[in-house]
Amino acid sequence: MKTVLSATLAGALLAMLSPFGGAQADDSVFVGHLKDVTGATGFVGKLYGEGVNDALVWINAHGGIDGTRLDFESVDYAYEVPRAIALYKKWTSQNKMVALQGWGTGDTEALISFVAKDKIPVLSGSYSGHLTDPTGKNPKTQKPAPYNFFYGPSYSDACRALVQWAEGDWKAKGKEGKPKFIHAGDNHPYPNAPKEACADFATELGFEVLPPVVVSLKPGDFKAQCLTIKQSGANYVYVANLGPSVVSLVKSCKTVGTDAQYMANIWGGDSETQKTLGADGDGYVFVAANAFWGDDAPGLALVREIAGSETPRTHHYIRGVCSTFYMKEAMEWAKAHGGLTGESIRNAMYARKDWVPKGLEGVCIPSTWTPEDHRGMTKVFIYQMQNGSEIHKIAETDLPRRDDWLGY
Amino acid sequence: MATLSLRPCGDFRTSYRADTKIFDTPTSRWAMVGFLCALYGLVILPQAFPPLASLPVLRLFADGYALSLGIQVCYYAIAALGLNILVGFTGQISLGHAAFFGVGAFSSAWLNTRVGLPVLVCIPLAGLMSAAAGLLFGAPAARIKGLYLAIATLAAQFIIEDLFVRMDWFTGGSSGAMADTPMLGSFAFDNDARYFLLSLSFTIVLFVMAANLMRSRDGRAFVALRDHYLSAEVMGIALTRYRVMSFGIAAFYAGIGGALYGHYLMFVSAEAFTILLSIQFLGMIIIGGLGSVMGAMLGTIFMVALPEVMGAVIAALQTTQWGNRPAVINGLPFFREMAIGAAIILFLIFEPDGLAHRWRLIKTYWKLYPFSH
Repeated sequence: MKTVLSATLAGALLAMLSPFGGAQADDSVFVGHLKDVTGATGFVGKLYGEGVNDALVWINAHGGIDGTRLDFESVDYAYEVPRAIALYKKWTSQNKMVALQGWGTGDTEALISFVAKDKIPVLSGSYSGHLTDPTGKNPKTQKPAPYNFFYGPSYSDACRALVQWAEGDWKAKGKEGKPKFIHAGDNHPYPNAPKEACADFATELGFEVLPPVVVSLKPGDFKAQCLTIKQSGANYVYVANLGPSVVSLVKSCKTVGTDAQYMANIWGGDSETQKTLGADGDGYVFVAANAFWGDDAPGLALVREIAGSETPRTHHYIRGVCSTFYMKEAMEWAKAHGGLTGESIRNAMYARKDWVPKGLEGVCIPSTWTPEDHRGMTKVFIYQMQNGSEIHKIAETDLPRRDDWLGY
Repeated sequence: MATLSLRPCGDFRTSYRADTKIFDTPTSRWAMVGFLCALYGLVILPQAFPPLASLPVLRLFADGYALSLGIQVCYYAIAALGLNILVGFTGQISLGHAAFFGVGAFSSAWLNTRVGLPVLVCIPLAGLMSAAAGLLFGAPAARIKGLYLAIATLAAQFIIEDLFVRMDWFTGGSSGAMADTPMLGSFAFDNDARYFLLSLSFTIVLFVMAANLMRSRDGRAFVALRDHYLSAEVMGIALTRYRVMSFGIAAFYAGIGGALYGHYLMFVSAEAFTILLSIQFLGMIIIGGLGSVMGAMLGTIFMVALPEVMGAVIAALQTTQWGNRPAVINGLPFFREMAIGAAIILFLIFEPDGLAHRWRLIKTYWKLYPFSH
């Protein structure tokens, strides 16, 4: 009996040891992928994550990075910063990660110092303005972020563009006096990211900025918050959350009878949200930074191929594809110029100007990153939900690259 | 150890000292010392001689991921032990343990980055700050018990969690707080192996302290309180004092665990200390064994290993044709969460005394083999 048990124990011990011996094959590099499926931002995180995942699979199926396979792991970290950091530590120590496709603002900002130390470029789903200053040139920058990138206008820039649009809208409607601007979002790094920067610009343009209203990222009954918005007399509400929370807010405010214009960031408006909002969403304005599934753009053929079906996907999915393809091309350049290391991939991001990944013409907007400025683009497209089921582009803004806006 | 254990017939103890030994026999004591020395040795060896890191067994002890799991076990076990002192030994209930774990993490980060104290000083101080919070929020325990106390501690969980997001000066608000790596002179505990040794040292000290506490007058008072509070009071035990004290000690342990957690991740964020973690702590001590010092450790190892095992199962499932369907893939992330719940239910039904009890049965079987009676 003792012998049998000892043998079982020894066997179990050997089995325990075996998973830790996984050596990397020479022709592959590891890319980490953090996605949120089950967490607070899972509504859009799932779609964006699918875009990244499908693009990585497509790249491997089409020869990888000039012959080098991308060994990747897609993990749902449920939007919890500590889990993201633990995964990051696992990937750097065990898998020798060279690049990371990240997601949330909380985790991406928490990882700034780690990735800078380990020299691992991150392309995040967070467009926080805090990630745009690689050198710490602007005194308002909290931490220089030399290894952080994202595809799209920063949350701060997107909000500034909305404020600029609101100024024109106010005048066009022939209204008098100072329009009132209010920020509505959860007390979370993501909704908070553009709060101060956008309020500063709104004040600069002559808005009266009201104290922000805290609206949970999780959907719920927001009538109390809507009453606050109504009583404050806000004309323009910047919605800093996303999908389900937006739907709850807009519907609750409709019940309460709030008369305000809602303007959402890049994650706050999409076809899924519109479907749920229906006619309640008419007039709702949001930001986008890439083509939509039904648009007439040559690059959409490739997107359809990556998606593997004709079922329409949201523009978040397409943005995930763009983000992955920028990384792919940077890796190709890096492989040809010094090897696939984190540092050379970062340098590759600077190699071109006004650059669109091959095959995605018309889908991704030309972007430029420089060693002094990680604002890939300052162009912001503004869309509006109309007639219950239509989404129309109503404005396009190109913001100036002001130094005092860098990293803020 | 000061808990009931199965002993063979004829094993008499003739003094209190003999009856309250931490280890039943000198062999078990030396086995534990030997095990811990071997653990230190196995982690130090590949660090000191890097070529050894590729050898079969040493590879495990040089692997960053395996070590990070070890570190997780250490800081969670410390906090779980604190909860076991409160729930398992004193018979109180707390649904807010994660909040005290968080207080420790934020306190240590604050003492370190804002006050400028060295990390190794911050960690015990964070334990004390957490204990102060524990005493404060444990005050209702003087008057209420059972379900009412559970709800009061649940309130503590939510109040503290909310404070974490609002107290910008202390916690950095929604953006979180940075925490440095511990340093001893010019020696930095900056890799997983070094940090594992540091947290292991803390764990050993705190476990020995807890085992000793249970042999002391105060520890016996806790147990008396749990077994029958009325009799304990009749015997002259100050109920209020010991109930509140138990909360303080539990929070102290949670605080040290939290501080170790914060300095390991080097970043503390409010969202880590939710009610879910509090329930996980309860799960750890239920699975490990209520009222057992070793149970806290066994339960923690089980809880830390469970998601890893589930992760491996899920990965294996995804490679099969059946597991690769979209419906299954979408459901897989929830498997891990469900597994934790299922483990707690199964333990409550089939092994209510936890892993510690099972371990004692195995030891007895071994000792009495082949005559089990």
